[in-house]
Amino acid sequence: MSYLSLENVTKQFGDVVVVDKFNLGIEKGEFVSFLGPSGCGKTTTLRMVAGFELPTSGRITLDGVDITDKAPNQRNVGMIFQAYALFPNMTVAQNIGFGLRIRKMNSTDVHARVDEMLSLVNLEKHANKYPYQLSGGQQQRVSLARALAIRPEVLLLDEPLSALDAKIRVSLRQEIRAIQRRLGITAIFVTHDQEEALSISDRIVVMNVGEMEQVGSPFEIYNFPKTQFVANFVGSLNNADAEVVDPANGILAMDGVHFKTAEEDFSSRKKGDKVKISVRPERFSFAVEPKKDNVIDCTIESITFLGAVVRIQIKIGNTSFNMDTFNNPFLELPAIGAKEQVMCSKEAVLVL
Amino acid sequence: MASKGLRKVVAMSDTSFDISVDQGEPDKKTRSLLRIGGRFWSWVWFILGAIYFLVPLFATLRHSLRMERDVLGFKAYERAFEDPSFLETFLLSNALAVATILCSTLLIVPTAYWIRLRLPQARRIAEFITLLPFVIPAIILVFGLIRTYSTHFTIPFTDIELFQPLTTTKFGTYALITAGYMVLAMPYMYRSVDTGMRVVDIRTLTEAAQSLGAGWFTIITQVILPNVRSALLSGALLTFAIVVGEVTLASFLGVDAFGPYLFLIGQHKAYEPAALSFVTFLMTWFAMGMIQFVTGGQGQATGAH
Ligand SMILES: Nc1ncnc2c1ncn2[C@@H]1O[C@H](COP(=O)(O)OP(=O)(O)OP(=O)(O)O)[C@@H](O)[C@H]1O
Ligand SMILES: [Mg+2]
Repeated sequence: MSYLSLENVTKQFGDVVVVDKFNLGIEKGEFVSFLGPSGCGKTTTLRMVAGFELPTSGRITLDGVDITDKAPNQRNVGMIFQAYALFPNMTVAQNIGFGLRIRKMNSTDVHARVDEMLSLVNLEKHANKYPYQLSGGQQQRVSLARALAIRPEVLLLDEPLSALDAKIRVSLRQEIRAIQRRLGITAIFVTHDQEEALSISDRIVVMNVGEMEQVGSPFEIYNFPKTQFVANFVGSLNNADAEVVDPANGILAMDGVHFKTAEEDFSSRKKGDKVKISVRPERFSFAVEPKKDNVIDCTIESITFLGAVVRIQIKIGNTSFNMDTFNNPFLELPAIGAKEQVMCSKEAVLVL
Repeated sequence: MASKGLRKVVAMSDTSFDISVDQGEPDKKTRSLLRIGGRFWSWVWFILGAIYFLVPLFATLRHSLRMERDVLGFKAYERAFEDPSFLETFLLSNALAVATILCSTLLIVPTAYWIRLRLPQARRIAEFITLLPFVIPAIILVFGLIRTYSTHFTIPFTDIELFQPLTTTKFGTYALITAGYMVLAMPYMYRSVDTGMRVVDIRTLTEAAQSLGAGWFTIITQVILPNVRSALLSGALLTFAIVVGEVTLASFLGVDAFGPYLFLIGQHKAYEPAALSFVTFLMTWFAMGMIQFVTGGQGQATGAH
C-alpha cells in the first residue's frame, strides 16, 4: 500500500459534490502536484488530507494509519498557505519554533532545530525580525521552515507561490523542490500553473470539476494526454474537427487534407466517424524530409515573436493552426501569405 | 458635468495623485490650484470642527478656575478632590469598569472568534444584537434588569429558591450593573475585536497553528489574543470611558458610582462640577492617546503585506 493513500474520497458541500471518488496513492518521498482550473477541488482535497475538512465518504491513510477522522492537530502534517499565515506577533525564530514548543521539546533542542531550519532556508540573518519586516518570498520561506521544523510526515502546499512575483516564484519553487529532495519528504503541491507543475513534480494529478482526469509524470502528461481536457490544460494545443478515412492505416481527413496518426486504438474506429484531432504547435516544422508521415500544404497567416520561440500561424485547409519554432538569428522566416509545406510525425497527431 | 464633479471630489479629499478624466483634462496649473483649494477647505472644516469641540471645553476650564473672585486658581479642584465621596465613587467606577472589561473580553473574544471561524452566517445576527444598545435607551435596560432580578428566583414549577433577588445585596447589585455595562459596551467591544480579527485573518492563522499541533487553548492564548490585543485595547478603553461617566444604570440601581456623584454635585455646587468634568475630559483624552500610542505601535505588525 502507498505511504499516503486516498480511497474513494468524496466531499460534498450541501448538494454540491466538490470532490468525487478521488483515488490516489503517493509513495514516500514523492512530490505530487494537483493541477487544475479554479474551483476544481484541489484545495478541498488538500484540506481533507490536512484534516480541515472531513470527507463525506472515503478513507485517507498515512503510513498505514487511518487518519480520516483525526483532528488536524493530531496529524503530523505540515501545511503551507498562499497567504504565508505567519504569526504576526512572533519573530521568525518564534514562528519556526512554535510547533516544537507545542510538542514540549526542551529549549536547547528547540534552539538547535530552529537554527537548522533557518539555515535550510537561508534566513539566518533574519531570525529576530517580525514577519512584516520580510519580503513575501522570505515570509514564505519562514513558513516552509516552520512547517518542516516539526518533521511532518507529509508537506502540503496550497498555491504557495501565487502571491509572489514571477522571478521569485521560479527561484523559490526550485528551492522548495531541492529541500524536499534533500529531506526526502513526501509533498503535495497545489497549483493552477501548468509550468510550475511540470517543472517540479514527480507526478501530476490533473483535476477537473472534482474528478481526476489523468495521473502521470510531467513527461506523460505533456506528451501523452489521455483526454481533451488534459491536452488543452497542459501546454498549448491546436484542435480541429476531422473525419476517419482509413481506420486500418490511421488516415483521417480535416477539411479534405489527409493526416496520418499513430493513435493506438484508431483501427477500431469506423470510416466516416467524426473525431477531434490535436497537434501541439512545436510538433510542426517546415518540411525538409518529403518522406515524413505528414507533409502538408499551408499558407502563412502571421508571425509573432515570443522571445525564445517564434509562433507562426498557418492555415491548413480552412483551419488555422499555430506552429512554434525556436528563434535564432539565422532563421529564415517565410513571407506572410506565402505557400509553404509543414510536416509533423504521425505520433504528433493526437485523436482524443 | 460628471467629470467636473469627479475632479472636485478628488480635490476635496486632498489626494495628490493624478486621476485621468476622459475629457477636459485640466492643465497642470488649474489642477494644482484645485489641490490647494482642496487643502484650504479641508483646513476650514477642520478648524470649524475643532472650535465646535474646544469652545465648550475651554468655557468649562475657565469656569472651573474662577471659584475665587477675580483670580484664576485651582481652588475648585482642591475642593472637589477633598470630598471623600469623590475618591470612593471614582474608585468604585474604576473597579466596575475593570470588571466590565474583563467579563466582556471573556464573552466577546470567543464569540467573535467562533463566528468568524465557523458561523459566518451568524455575523449579521451578532452585529444586530451588539447594536441594540444604540437603539434601546439605557433607562429601558435598567428597568428590565430591575423587574427581572428584584424577584426571588425559583426553579420553574417548584418552590426551590435558586438565589435571592440580586438587587437586595451589594454584590448582587454590582454583578447586575456589570452585566448592564457589558451590554452598553457591546457595540464597541464586538466591533473592534471583530475588525481586529479580520485584519489578521484569524482563520488561516488558526489553521496554521492547528497543523503545527496546537489545541484550542494554545491557539486562543498564544495566537488569537496577542494578535487582537490592540483591537481589544481600543474597545476596552472606550468601555472604560463609558462606564466611568455612566449615570442612568448606576442611579436607578442605587450604586454609588462616579456618574451619579458628578450629577449630584452638579445640582448643588457651582464650580466643582466644572473642575471634575474637565478632569474627566482629560482622562478620556489620555485614554484616546493610549489607544493611538498602542495601536500605532502595533498597526504595522498586524498589517498584512
Ligand atoms: N466551505 C465551503 N462551503 C461550500 N462550498 C465550498 C466550500 N469550500 C469550497 N467550496 C466549493 O468547492 C469548490 C472547490 O473549491 P476549492 O477551493 O477546492 O477549489 P480549488 O481547486 O482549490 O480552486 P482555486 O484554484 O480557485 O483555489 C468550489 O466551487 C467552491 O466554491
Ligand atoms: Mg485553492
